[in-house]
Amino acid sequence: MRRRSLRIRLLANAAAATLVALGLAGTGITFLFSRHIERREAVSLTAKAQELLTTLRLDPDGRPVVAQRPSDSRYAKPASGLYWQVSAPTGSLHSRSLWDQSLPRPKQAIATEWTLRRTAGPFGHGLLILERVVRPDTTNRVVLVQFATDDEALKTARSEFEREIALSLALLWLVLVAAAYVQVMLGLYPLRRVGRELDRLLRNPAARLSSDHPQEVQPLTAAINALADARAADLDRARKRAGDLAHGLKTPLAAMAAQSHRARQAGAIEAADGLDRVIASASATLEAELARARAAAVRIAGTDKAAYIAQVVDDLVAVIERTAKGEQIVFQVDLPESFRVPVSTGDLTEMVGALLENAVKFATRRVGITGITDGLASILCIGDDGPGLPEGRSDDALIRGGRLDEAGQGHGFGLAIVHDLVAATEGTIDLGVSPLGGLAVSLRWPTGGRDIERAQTYAND
Amino acid sequence: MRLLVVEDDPDVGENLVASLREAGFVVELATDGKDAWFRGDTEDYAAVVLDLGLPQLDGLSVLKRWRREGRDFPVLVLTARGDWTEKVEGINAGADDYMVKPFAMGELVARIRGLLRRAAGHGSPTVTVGRLTIHTGQQRAVVGDADIRLSPLEYRFLELLIHQPDRVMSVPAIAEHLYGTAGQGDTNAIEALVTRLRRKIGPDIVETRRGLGYALAGATP
Repeated sequence: MRRRSLRIRLLANAAAATLVALGLAGTGITFLFSRHIERREAVSLTAKAQELLTTLRLDPDGRPVVAQRPSDSRYAKPASGLYWQVSAPTGSLHSRSLWDQSLPRPKQAIATEWTLRRTAGPFGHGLLILERVVRPDTTNRVVLVQFATDDEALKTARSEFEREIALSLALLWLVLVAAAYVQVMLGLYPLRRVGRELDRLLRNPAARLSSDHPQEVQPLTAAINALADARAADLDRARKRAGDLAHGLKTPLAAMAAQSHRARQAGAIEAADGLDRVIASASATLEAELARARAAAVRIAGTDKAAYIAQVVDDLVAVIERTAKGEQIVFQVDLPESFRVPVSTGDLTEMVGALLENAVKFATRRVGITGITDGLASILCIGDDGPGLPEGRSDDALIRGGRLDEAGQGHGFGLAIVHDLVAATEGTIDLGVSPLGGLAVSLRWPTGGRDIERAQTYAND
Repeated sequence: MRLLVVEDDPDVGENLVASLREAGFVVELATDGKDAWFRGDTEDYAAVVLDLGLPQLDGLSVLKRWRREGRDFPVLVLTARGDWTEKVEGINAGADDYMVKPFAMGELVARIRGLLRRAAGHGSPTVTVGRLTIHTGQQRAVVGDADIRLSPLEYRFLELLIHQPDRVMSVPAIAEHLYGTAGQGDTNAIEALVTRLRRKIGPDIVETRRGLGYALAGATP
């Protein structure tokens, strides 16, 4: 995975590029430095040579003679590294420092201007030789004048310079890599933001990437948003089709139930029983699909609305009070005026409806509906005074199976939608013991999240 | 007793008509919303079975129109969707009961009988004690000018008190009347019922006589 990291790749490229650039710069600077010190050495040798040339002449035999030898004491010390030599066809003269050695003659014809060359010299030293031919008198006889210096000092100076420049450039490289790191981090910040927003989109399909990204990233975020919109539209269409299909099948099922009734009346009890079983199974499947489709719609559309729970509960209680069991039950509603949950009215109606129906089914006399906001969460609790859950039953399994059956009998699909909708609205569901003595089902939505903020904004509008 | 069945699916409609006739009712069938509305508006029915998904005029609109025009026969709504939002809409529009398709015919007949029993109720359509008036047919209470929707339990509780204006009703007697049997938890349940009722009709109409029970305001101790 690290190989695919854009950050690592950019950093590695920046580090390699600056390393190459600094390496080239180091080589260039070293070259210039050594040329500079060679020139300085040449100037120094030239000055010494000029001193000798002023007194150079040829004796009648054509042998060179100097009245005044160069004053530097190193010319007098054998193998000192500083040498001169004057050569005529008929004889030559050299510094004492050369002892019994001689400076190598140039292979090519030499100019009458000072020229500089490197060569191996006596005593195993490398030499830097400054040389030219001169005509000391009018006889047109030529004399080769050579001044040489040992290049060990130059080499030492150059290697010292190389070390220092390498150290400096290495430090510079580190600084540049650090700068590149900062630049990469700053440069990639918009992508990290895109990543965070994508995470959010993953958790809440109703979310979209924000529109204030840098213009280089904008096409990417726009494409992602368009994709999310298209996906939401596709899912919505599929959900609607599933819903329409399910609703469309309900009436034929009712017609089948009617046929079953007729069959039963006509004495075909077995056939009617078979039909009823098929109808019940098909109905359960349809209801479960409708519940799933609804929960999927919530996940896609998100929850932009906060339900006025008190009104929802009042309406639902009015419906349930019309059922045979519901009319025997007292509903104790304790919901503060300000109590809100981040769920749309329609979704809350389905959840609370299913939970109230369940509570009523098992209640003896009372069902309680309470709402608490504790700063961390909005908690809606529906409890009853029924027998409660048997010991040792797994809450989670019961909720997931949609069978919150306190008495042990299957409860059908109604609670599957509660589980799905609570999950789709980023809430949690817990089972416990109600103060009334029976089962308490608590739906909990964390506050402080974006949805709650939006919910509160909505509620304040 | 004359019933109106409003159902556009021929199979379901025919079967409803046949089953209800078999149960001893006189049944008429309407197959679209406009026809249903017209019949309900112009003729008297003991109760109506109303499908919500109807051609021309949907069932909910038909029901709302009837109620707006003062037609107060009990209506049992048939719905294909079966979600709570639609049930709430139906009840808010004035339905008295609902059934989700597909349904068992026997249960539907039983529910119709229940509706008719409730509607038949009492000879006197309204009873008034103090500021409280009870419409026995519609299970409604009127306090001053406010029209209050009562649950069956609340209605039966007030009905008990209003028909015994000179008595304080003890909790066991109330429980016996409401539930048929007195049992554990009745005291709490009736206390909760009174609390809920007081929120609807105001705090001073039902009085608590400590140690004795409940009475309507103005009743003798």
